[in-house]
Amino acid sequence: MEIFIAQLISGIALGSIYVLLVTGFNLMLLVAKIIQFAYPQIVVISMYTCWGVLQLTDNKFLVILAGITVSIILSILSEPIFRKITSTQGVDINASFIASMGMAMIIMDVMSHSINYGFPVAFPPEWIGGNLLSFGLITVSKGQLYALMGGIIAVLIFFYLLYRTNQGRFFRAIAENRYAACLVGIPIIKTSIFSYFIVGVLGGITAILFSMLIGSASPWLGEFVALKMLAVSIVAGLGNLKGGLFCGLILGILEAMAMGYISGSWSNAIAFVVMLVIVLIKPQGLFGSRI
Amino acid sequence: MKNKFFRSFSLPLIVIGMILIFSFNIWGQEVVVDEWRIPFLNCVTGPIASIGEYMSWSANRAAEEINAAGGVRGKPIKIEIIDTGVSKDKAMEEMAKVVDWALVVMGPVPEACIMAAVPIAVKAGLFCMISSTSYEYTVEYFPWTLSWYPPTEEKLPPITAAWAELHPDMKTVVQFVEYSIAWPPMAKAHAIGLESVGVKMLKDVDVPTDAVMFEPLVLKALAQNPDGIVLTCSPEKAAKIIIELEKKGWEDKSKILVFSSADDTALYTTGGKSLDGISIYNYINLYLDDPRWQAFREAYKKDHNGIEPASLSTNYYDSVYMIKEAIENTEITGDPSKLGEERIKIRDYCRNVKGFKGIQLTWDMTDGVPTGKGAFLFVLENGEKKFLAATK
Amino acid sequence: MSEVLYYFLGFTAIYILMGWALYLPYRVGQLHFLIVACMAVTAYFGGFAAREWGWPFILLLLVGISIGAIIAFVFSQAIGKAPCFTVVIVGLTSVFIVKTVIENWELLGGTIGFFHIPTVKYLLPIIYILLLIVGFLIYKIDHSRLGRAASVVFVDREVAVSLGIDIKKLGMFFQIIACAIAGMAGILDAFFVNSVSPEFFTFSMISYLMCILFVGGYTTMWGVILSAFILQGIPLLFPSEVASWRQVIYGALLVIIILIRPEGLISRKMLWGLKPKFSFNNK
Repeated sequence: MEIFIAQLISGIALGSIYVLLVTGFNLMLLVAKIIQFAYPQIVVISMYTCWGVLQLTDNKFLVILAGITVSIILSILSEPIFRKITSTQGVDINASFIASMGMAMIIMDVMSHSINYGFPVAFPPEWIGGNLLSFGLITVSKGQLYALMGGIIAVLIFFYLLYRTNQGRFFRAIAENRYAACLVGIPIIKTSIFSYFIVGVLGGITAILFSMLIGSASPWLGEFVALKMLAVSIVAGLGNLKGGLFCGLILGILEAMAMGYISGSWSNAIAFVVMLVIVLIKPQGLFGSRI
Repeated sequence: MKNKFFRSFSLPLIVIGMILIFSFNIWGQEVVVDEWRIPFLNCVTGPIASIGEYMSWSANRAAEEINAAGGVRGKPIKIEIIDTGVSKDKAMEEMAKVVDWALVVMGPVPEACIMAAVPIAVKAGLFCMISSTSYEYTVEYFPWTLSWYPPTEEKLPPITAAWAELHPDMKTVVQFVEYSIAWPPMAKAHAIGLESVGVKMLKDVDVPTDAVMFEPLVLKALAQNPDGIVLTCSPEKAAKIIIELEKKGWEDKSKILVFSSADDTALYTTGGKSLDGISIYNYINLYLDDPRWQAFREAYKKDHNGIEPASLSTNYYDSVYMIKEAIENTEITGDPSKLGEERIKIRDYCRNVKGFKGIQLTWDMTDGVPTGKGAFLFVLENGEKKFLAATK
Repeated sequence: MSEVLYYFLGFTAIYILMGWALYLPYRVGQLHFLIVACMAVTAYFGGFAAREWGWPFILLLLVGISIGAIIAFVFSQAIGKAPCFTVVIVGLTSVFIVKTVIENWELLGGTIGFFHIPTVKYLLPIIYILLLIVGFLIYKIDHSRLGRAASVVFVDREVAVSLGIDIKKLGMFFQIIACAIAGMAGILDAFFVNSVSPEFFTFSMISYLMCILFVGGYTTMWGVILSAFILQGIPLLFPSEVASWRQVIYGALLVIIILIRPEGLISRKMLWGLKPKFSFNNK
């Protein structure tokens, strides 16, 4: 029982990171109509930035600021590319998937070439923090608590923005029907750029929480996470924000349980088998696709 | 008179003749190349680029030293780093490029590239100096490769046994195993060594290659109440598991053993202070009292942000020296018309070299398998390795 | 023939086959990465059967094609008309599952891999003959009713349905053909490389195939041929300092092509331009 609770805690903490990633990813999909496969790579770059700034200063505020800024900049920089793609080809999310895959390849290779000799970077213990609570094997680390709290707060704010503000109404209108939204006078491009901004902020927050949770970053971290992010959003149903919340959390827990209880080296296949079965039975995802 | 004349001159004539023949022979053996180009199929891009970086570094350092000391048979040696990434077709194409002209090739480094590219070298009769991987891979291509390490089942059990003997109160051990390349066989060998001294092996914990979070694995291990831990996984993962163990209140870190392949820069950059007190085994002794080694170590640290040389960092350094020795002692000329036989000369020399003076130790090779090459056991104290034991 | 050219041509042909295998289901808008899983399965099967049981190459080729087709048939029951990204995730997960199974299978060499697969004489000519056959087949499919139906499905599924096209059957057909080609490519790969390892079938292979398809052009079968030669040639032609940035070059190519020539280097319009034919007023 003790082990089970401890596994649950670590699964929920990881799940909240997946939730953040999937939420940003889904927002891009709904508003900008793109598959941003390079999103986790942007998060990882932002983690690297935090690490770099931490080498220079101890000021946590500056570190957080730098992480979020870089994420926003990268996200907005990718906007013209994606806009060009979607404008020349109508709404073709496949093309955006391919372009973002290219971006992911570039980012990953640059990281493994040039930053820290390609070695993984580790965040100092002051940044990660120790255990806040511990009963035997059940421990809650600062990183886990922040990941969970940060995840909840960020998602709450995000949903508030989406469902209680004008800007959010614009987002939803565009997601529902782009042309109709255009007809009623919603500024498509401005709103779209704003969505890149929001996703950048979310990415920065994800990066900071992720770095606190796992304490290091490596060039290939983005790839590991990207596949899971894509899988979660498809299992939940593409563009389904609430489904993404649920499935992200479940994947985190499932992964922790599989690693903890399934014997043999099969554990990393388990999450994939479950996803495969779900997708085969329900090709539109558990909660239905919104695309 | 005539007879006498001839007789008195015959001896000098014979001597002159012999000298002439000998010197012709020398001319025949003269080096025809301007420099010794040694291709090194390395992996300097992709997920294990960091390993490739220091392998290139150390091969180049050896070449610089040799050239500064007058080269090989009077000609400079040049290591041509050829990137294969981790892609098999790239490795095969690059190998196909070098089989036409190379005397000997170093690498490839990634295991997938070895499997794909070495058959080409075997077909062409080109010797591959592969010194970064375990016996299981290279033995498949004998005699066209050599094994840098003794067979896994011979080399590893003594070192884990030595570690267990240092901790007599350690009765049960859990091993973390990552299912990648040659690590499962190494894990098996670790277990054999531990069981030979009466330690009970608990159920292995398998480390997924794409794991980002390690708490569940650590919990799974701790649920079995082990006295000791063996980490057979990638350096970054090993470091993270150690950090998690620390968070879960693991106290005696000397009862955590990190295996040689994880003793890499990434372990230290990821693990930081949490590594203090752990046991590590590998094949280089940082504190070896030898000027050549200390110079290497200083230069390495200078070029790598003060990080100590990694366990595999000397392999290709020694390889370059071994090739140099082979060229000198078998009088290789580099003449393209004799390429085939000279390749075999180098191969046979390297596979059976006796008393080879590596930067760390002196060893013999017998049919491509080294003898007298042991491992070292260390404990990490304040970021420095303290020597504990060595095996033969 | 020089060794480099031999391997260059061999790999290019295998990648063209795999590129076509990716191209076919994309005719109906599905990115079918299951082909990589099929390739892994048949490469292992072929390698094992050839080394351990001494099966002849020709038999293995047929078995490989059937294995690919059977796998695809089973999966296509569920994903015959699934949306693109569902198919993507089915493919990606099955690649990882196949890899895990192989890594745990001692008989197949586990994580280390499988060595010493026998060679076949005249493998390169055989590969190119097969390439021609497959190319001809695809050409025929492309220029049949099926190909035209696929084009409609790609542009608009609803129109396709209203025209009486059975999207599921069409998708199943393309998936099965694609996986059969991939199954064949797996066998060829095993014999060509002489060893197989789980490390051969990774995500980077998938991204490489994507590059081949989309840089070359996904609207015709010819694009794959062009880009396979170009992409496979880039690392060989450039000095190693440049070639070591291969991934960046591929990635940049992908982004640039999508930006300036969304349909890839060779597009259908371009081919129309080459052909003297009756005027066909497009739009």
